[in-house]
Amino acid sequence: MTQETSSVAVLDAEGISLKSVSLWNITLRRLRRRKSALIGLTILAILTFIALTAQWLAPYDPYTPLIGIEDVKAREAPCIHALGCPPSKPQHILGVDGNVRDQFSRLLYGARLSLMIGFSTVTFAIIIGTVLGALGGYLGGWIDNVIMRLMDVLLAFPSLLLAIAIVTVLGPGLINALLAIGIVSIPAYARVVRASVLSVREMDYVSASRALGGSMTQILFRRILPNALTPLIVQGTLGIATAILDAAALSFLGLGAQPPTPEWGSMLGAERNQVFTAPHLVFFPGIAIALTVLAFNLLGDGLRDALDPRLAHVS
Amino acid sequence: MTTYILRRLLSSIPVLLGILFVTFALGRWIPGDPCRAILGEKATDAVCDEFIHRHGLDRPVHVQFGYYIREVAQGDFGRSFRFSKSVNELLVERLPITIELSFAALFVSIIVGIPLGVISAVRHNSWVDVLTMLWANIGVSMPVFWLGLMLAYIFALALKDTPFQLPPSGRLSPGIITVPFYEVWNLPLQRGTFFYGILDFVARMNILNSLLSLNFEVLRDAIRHLILPALALGTIPMALIARMTRSSMLEVLGQDYIRTARAKGLRQRVVVMKHAFRNALLPLVTVIGLSLGGLLGGAVLTETVFNLSGVGRILYDAITARDYGIVQAFTVVIAIFFVVLNLLVDISYAYLDPRIRLD
Amino acid sequence: MKRNLFAVLSVFVLASLMLAACGGGGAQPAAITIEGLKEKDFAPVKYEAPNCDYGGEFKSMEAVDESTVRFTLCVPDPAFPSKIAFSAFAVQPKEYLEFTGATGAILEQPIGTGPYYVAQWERGNQLIFKRFDAYWGEKAKTPTLVFRWGSESAQRLLELQSGTVDGIDNPAPDDFAVIEADPNLQLKPRPALNIFYIGMNNTYPPFDNEKVRQAIAMGIDRQRIVDNFYPAGSEVASHFTPCAIPNGCVGESWYEFNPEAARALLAEAGFPDGFKTKLYYRDVVRGYLPQVSNVAQDIQAQLKANLNIDAEIEVQESGTFLDNADSGKLDGLHLLGWGADYPDQTNFLDYHFGAGASKQFGEKFPDIVENLAKAAQLASDEERRPYYEAANNAIKQHVPMIPVAHGGSGTAFKAAVEGAHASPLGNENFAVMSIPGQDTFVWMQNAEPISLFCADETDGESLRACEQVTQSLLGYQVAGTAVEPVLAESYEANADLTVWTFKLRPNVKFHNGFTLDAADVVESLVLQWDAAHPLHKGNTGAFSYWSGLFGAFLNAPAE
Repeated sequence: MTQETSSVAVLDAEGISLKSVSLWNITLRRLRRRKSALIGLTILAILTFIALTAQWLAPYDPYTPLIGIEDVKAREAPCIHALGCPPSKPQHILGVDGNVRDQFSRLLYGARLSLMIGFSTVTFAIIIGTVLGALGGYLGGWIDNVIMRLMDVLLAFPSLLLAIAIVTVLGPGLINALLAIGIVSIPAYARVVRASVLSVREMDYVSASRALGGSMTQILFRRILPNALTPLIVQGTLGIATAILDAAALSFLGLGAQPPTPEWGSMLGAERNQVFTAPHLVFFPGIAIALTVLAFNLLGDGLRDALDPRLAHVS
Repeated sequence: MTTYILRRLLSSIPVLLGILFVTFALGRWIPGDPCRAILGEKATDAVCDEFIHRHGLDRPVHVQFGYYIREVAQGDFGRSFRFSKSVNELLVERLPITIELSFAALFVSIIVGIPLGVISAVRHNSWVDVLTMLWANIGVSMPVFWLGLMLAYIFALALKDTPFQLPPSGRLSPGIITVPFYEVWNLPLQRGTFFYGILDFVARMNILNSLLSLNFEVLRDAIRHLILPALALGTIPMALIARMTRSSMLEVLGQDYIRTARAKGLRQRVVVMKHAFRNALLPLVTVIGLSLGGLLGGAVLTETVFNLSGVGRILYDAITARDYGIVQAFTVVIAIFFVVLNLLVDISYAYLDPRIRLD
Repeated sequence: MKRNLFAVLSVFVLASLMLAACGGGGAQPAAITIEGLKEKDFAPVKYEAPNCDYGGEFKSMEAVDESTVRFTLCVPDPAFPSKIAFSAFAVQPKEYLEFTGATGAILEQPIGTGPYYVAQWERGNQLIFKRFDAYWGEKAKTPTLVFRWGSESAQRLLELQSGTVDGIDNPAPDDFAVIEADPNLQLKPRPALNIFYIGMNNTYPPFDNEKVRQAIAMGIDRQRIVDNFYPAGSEVASHFTPCAIPNGCVGESWYEFNPEAARALLAEAGFPDGFKTKLYYRDVVRGYLPQVSNVAQDIQAQLKANLNIDAEIEVQESGTFLDNADSGKLDGLHLLGWGADYPDQTNFLDYHFGAGASKQFGEKFPDIVENLAKAAQLASDEERRPYYEAANNAIKQHVPMIPVAHGGSGTAFKAAVEGAHASPLGNENFAVMSIPGQDTFVWMQNAEPISLFCADETDGESLRACEQVTQSLLGYQVAGTAVEPVLAESYEANADLTVWTFKLRPNVKFHNGFTLDAADVVESLVLQWDAAHPLHKGNTGAFSYWSGLFGAFLNAPAE
């Protein structure tokens, strides 16, 4: 997603592409200096690697109960051979869940799902939000008013509650949950885009393209929107964190991913009864969620600092 | 100030209308027959005809919307078929629990978050600062429900038989009965009146009620039950508040007038508390305002984990029972509540910072 | 500013101090008073069906004199005492029933004759009972009884271990050993008088095809489910009814697990590649289904692996799920079960497959219905046996559902609890339980009661609460299944078991001080029997137990 939009910038007129490339260089250089952002980036790289290679990394199939296949009981504690678990027993790094499935494999597959959830909802929200924000900002007048009041209204609901209400109408399920989370996160992006559109709408180079007879879409996409890219990336990175948290919450409540999908929130929800007897089944999915969200938060904060023009003189 | 408040009030009208519109639209998008969706599948045709007529569902959509606004304005949310009670009764029953929990969480996050932020700003880059920021980052990343379960595990099981043991669920220990304060005060009240509803609403907040009726046994018990849920729910705002306090304190501490104050030879404590903190308070109000939405949403999860029968719990039950009437009513009430809170935040912001009013 | 705040606060505190001092604690009422409710004198009354063609069991019910109730039945019913003892047929004052219209207030505040009365129901939190001091029998051992609930077994066990509750229902299968090893706790196993089954509705394709149903019956490894998800004391169901019930497991045993044969049968039915369907359940723990979601997921995995059937899981809220099941709206497979209310085949087979059964499994099978009808009219177990054999064999052939397991369950108590028990019928009697020196006894069950007007409830969690408060003519022995007199001192039947006469115990007081008479009994029952009765309302108006046990309602609206 980032890839695509940045290539738009490179395709542009000479001067701008040079500028944007150098902006990215500066950003990367600044980002490298921020320890926390680096940590976030590292975690993310690992997660992405896990998500892409889950089917080779996972020792077991995440859907198949091991009943009759191996001699393990439901909710058995972790057994790691390197840590003194007798080799006669099959190795399950994070134990097995209530349906006698390997928890570690399910956790790995869950990474794929969580990243997918984060990126897809935010992409959805960015696309819709950008269109709404750009239209509002560029056209102004009553259209702008209507769009922004609508955004205010969406923001007036606590986001998780609105998502829950939407899922109620659509019915439980992963796709509907994603749609609901996507909808509630639109306003943030619409606002960001509108603000940057407003800031450059009357600038000379925009007026110039307009005078040269550029069409509205051309002006919007070539001249105006690239300016919104920076704040959008920051907002998007942080937004992925929120989206993953909200999706996990919906799944935990049984409104999102349905069993037997290895989604971290629903894995946690399914075994929450067993928190006192088999804490490992609740502990690890929670850690996985927290780590992923932490990574996006750290990266988002780092990006914000690195892209902040006010800090330009510092580097 | 008055003009500002008035202007701010006026500007929230379109938002309120929008909220009504969204909840109205949600209600209309419900798959299937709205009457049977709200009154239950056993509703007879006669009952449904009456229902449809009363709510104007046989009229054009804009008229229906008018009916809906009138109903909400009159506080008439109808009855819940699942709970066989009026939705208003359910609101009076459940909302106080969520409000109590949210405010307890906010309280916890403020009394922990602000000092942490101030200390880490004053001791910039010390180990306190590093730890606080680490905690703040982790704090905003943890799922509320997971944190709740972990807290329950630690305080109810791992610390069992120590003085730190805390109950993992419920609002009061079994057998402890709360007497509404208006009964203790022997107020002559008529059941079913609006005033009674208000008092009953207040009386259902255990902590407030036990304070009003001076029942300290109940107070202690209620607080013990509230600690874990409030901690779980309060962690995210706590992290946000600590972070915001720190950064705004850092900014203020770097300003000239602070240096002047220091140069005057004022003690560090006076400089920090009197000169810096008061000015750093401003952005905090915004953060607190923003946290409220998260708190109300998080309350759904916290209530599920800690078995509290508040709004979140009933919303969850209503959703699984497809009781759309409740979902609609509670969503609109919470959203209005949220708008009012934001209004209050803005007004207090204007009170703290005179510049805003002139804007 | 600060000083002002302080002043306001102190005025506030002072005011509340004064008000609290003036108010004083109001005296606790000894039992319930309902404003505006007056006791009426007894008048004999008789309700009678014009004839027996309406399809129900009752011909008439009559309050002959103050202490005599007589029922005339259309058909002989040897199980009548067992049935009438059930808590859905408990007696409340006629005046109160009329006063509330048998709906509204009565749903939360029943007035019974039992050892406890309902003192306060804090919805969502706890249900508090107080000892009824004018109780006719042996008074409750503990003055205050509290019901709490938590759907999660871990949470219930934790509360028991940390001492905040004195007894819990349904500890998790994994925890049985933990409880037995703990010297502070005692485990009371509950005999497996229940059945967990996978239901199918034969009006929805492909379940309208008998071969499909049989294929699924053969394609599920039930032993694996019991081994992995049920506690000790559970067993794979050979028949719908447990063997402990007379004539429960006569006839052929259920299909053996045979995935190859199942696939062949499914192919023969026209589904060689399986099909897509749904798997409905409610996420509610019961003795027959201790680990709901896990069992559901295992069945889902087995359907996929053995029959290539894709079953999408859909969880529904408990009440909605039961409604949908009863009204025949579930178009896929559904997971449900049944616990015995009274120890008789009619409670199992008739309730589910008899003439009065709901549409849960779709169209009824005439050969099952006929055999059950014949058996129900015979007095001795010996005479009934061939009919139950035939009915069980017909069930095996038609597969309206797949019986999976009889789940062993239990209750756990603190070791200090005297009188601790688990009832095979799930109606633990807390009046006999106590901890020496303790005024309050706290019980934690799986869920909050739905309402306390149990004539119109079917949920065991509601019934258990009602059973502490209201009583029927007869009752069941504590921790047993034998029928014993309660509100009736004695009863007799005519030779062909169609006329039953009950003599009421004298001077039985209701919680509001009214005296029990025969008119109260008749009113409590006729409002259930007669669908046109103005008090035929309740919580949902379904009165499922009545129709399940006694067949059709009188004046039932035509469908």
